[in-house]
Amino acid sequence: MVRAMLTAEELEILSTSLGVAGRAVLVSLPVAILFAWALSRPRFPGQSVLNTIAHLPLVLPPVLVGYMLLLAFGVNGPLGGWLKATFGIQLALTAGGAAVATAVMSFPLMVRAIRLSFEATDGGLFEAAAVLRASPWDRFWSLALPLAWPGVLAGAVVAFAAGLGEFGAVITFASNIEGETQTLPLAINAALNTPGRDEVAFRLASISLIVAIVGLLAAEGLQRWARRRLEG
Amino acid sequence: MSLDLSGAVVQRGAFRLSADLSVPAEGVTVVFGPSGAGKSMLLSAVAGLQKLAAGKLSFNGRVLEDVLQRVRVPAHDRAIGLVFQDARLFPHLTVRGNIQYAEQRRPAARNAPITLEISRLLEFEDLLDRPVHNLSGGERSRVALARAIVSAPELLLLDEPFAALDGRRRRDFARVLKQLSHDHGVPMIVVTHLVDEAAELANHVIALRAGRVVCDGKPADAMMRPEFSRLLDVRDRGAWVQGAAGFGSGDGVWVRADSVLIGASEPKGISARNVWPGRIASIVREPDGAILVCMATDKGYILSRITPEALSDLKLEEGGAAWAIVKSHAL
Repeated sequence: MVRAMLTAEELEILSTSLGVAGRAVLVSLPVAILFAWALSRPRFPGQSVLNTIAHLPLVLPPVLVGYMLLLAFGVNGPLGGWLKATFGIQLALTAGGAAVATAVMSFPLMVRAIRLSFEATDGGLFEAAAVLRASPWDRFWSLALPLAWPGVLAGAVVAFAAGLGEFGAVITFASNIEGETQTLPLAINAALNTPGRDEVAFRLASISLIVAIVGLLAAEGLQRWARRRLEG
Repeated sequence: MSLDLSGAVVQRGAFRLSADLSVPAEGVTVVFGPSGAGKSMLLSAVAGLQKLAAGKLSFNGRVLEDVLQRVRVPAHDRAIGLVFQDARLFPHLTVRGNIQYAEQRRPAARNAPITLEISRLLEFEDLLDRPVHNLSGGERSRVALARAIVSAPELLLLDEPFAALDGRRRRDFARVLKQLSHDHGVPMIVVTHLVDEAAELANHVIALRAGRVVCDGKPADAMMRPEFSRLLDVRDRGAWVQGAAGFGSGDGVWVRADSVLIGASEPKGISARNVWPGRIASIVREPDGAILVCMATDKGYILSRITPEALSDLKLEEGGAAWAIVKSHAL
């Protein structure tokens, strides 16, 4: 049905967007879980620094984030050069780079949702597990994560939906390459800047809106379902 | 073999608990005291959930915490189990899952009942596949106890484990608890603020008040001391009596002074089954005007609260003969 409604160009843009946002979630989810877990613990030295790092993309201009990524992971950057030389991986100007830029930008949203879920877990349960011989690492895997998973799921879906709309960081770090890094917002921008492509821009904007709404509804629904399963 | 606290101090906000104790690592030790005495805090410190602010804690010779030496064994390495007042069952697991959580983490060498065995013993075999949020308070208590027993601790702490149970279940549960402690050789420390429960369960008693140990020892001794009596409400004052057939479920029973009648001569033709002859050891007027008569009988000391009128009618005197009459249901 989607195939019948969308043109080949629109399908390609949508699939690039979904691929970039999906990979961004996969990249950032494990790191976001660790950050959220650390931030939900009682105060420890360095927690404020960790909190600042996690929330930095929220307050920095996206273009600046893209520029910083370019400096670090560009072909001539210290990390980018090492990646290229060691693994043959290039991030700048590739779909992988678009996913990394998107992951960085949606990271704070994901950390926030997961952290709230960790914080909502009754701390007394960890004490109960400790006196049953569960080590801190064991308690994380056997209790913290299973109890927080509605939040983890919601964080992932919200980050995915937000990732579909990421513009500034992606265009700066990965540029606007059709079929490679041209996601929905980049394609809308390109169409708007091309005379006679207003209708294309409008159709792409509509697709973007529908995908975002579906994403948010899915996040809400999944969270409710998971919580019902957990609490009965 | 004992749990030793020397100069131990636990601090939470403005409240401070100080303890210098040696608790035998066998049978059931009861920590008794009014609300806010620091009973739960003591258990938390022993389990390793609350740090000592000063002093030393060791169990069977192994130092678990020594503030001066900066030694602290974490809770998961202490092999000390704790049954919380609010059960703290894991909500994402079924009853079986909760008990298996403990089973999977106990050392292979430790001998302890398995899930099915303990669920039969505590009568919740039919609940094994239920999610825990469907359980009643009493069922949660039983599952929490089962989980702790299955983890095969070297010492088991229980914080008011009977709080959610009704009278009959309470007694059954107390009996099972003593049995488990005996059969598996697991010493237990049980917190309670109910004097009957303390008398029924205890092989050893620790009485706390406002963060201090006021007395400790065998129940026949500790529970008969004035310091212990002062912790009790007037209506709860009484005496610890050695258990016998038909007496409670444990080693001892608490006989309330309000439940004991006194006869100046041997009573005849009455329904009470327990009539104990003895001598009056003391007669004390209580602040509320009632008279507290202490009798030495072959069951030990028995207290009776009577009115001043009864005292003058019966012409009771210290050193004189008297009979204590106790209805069976008071035991």
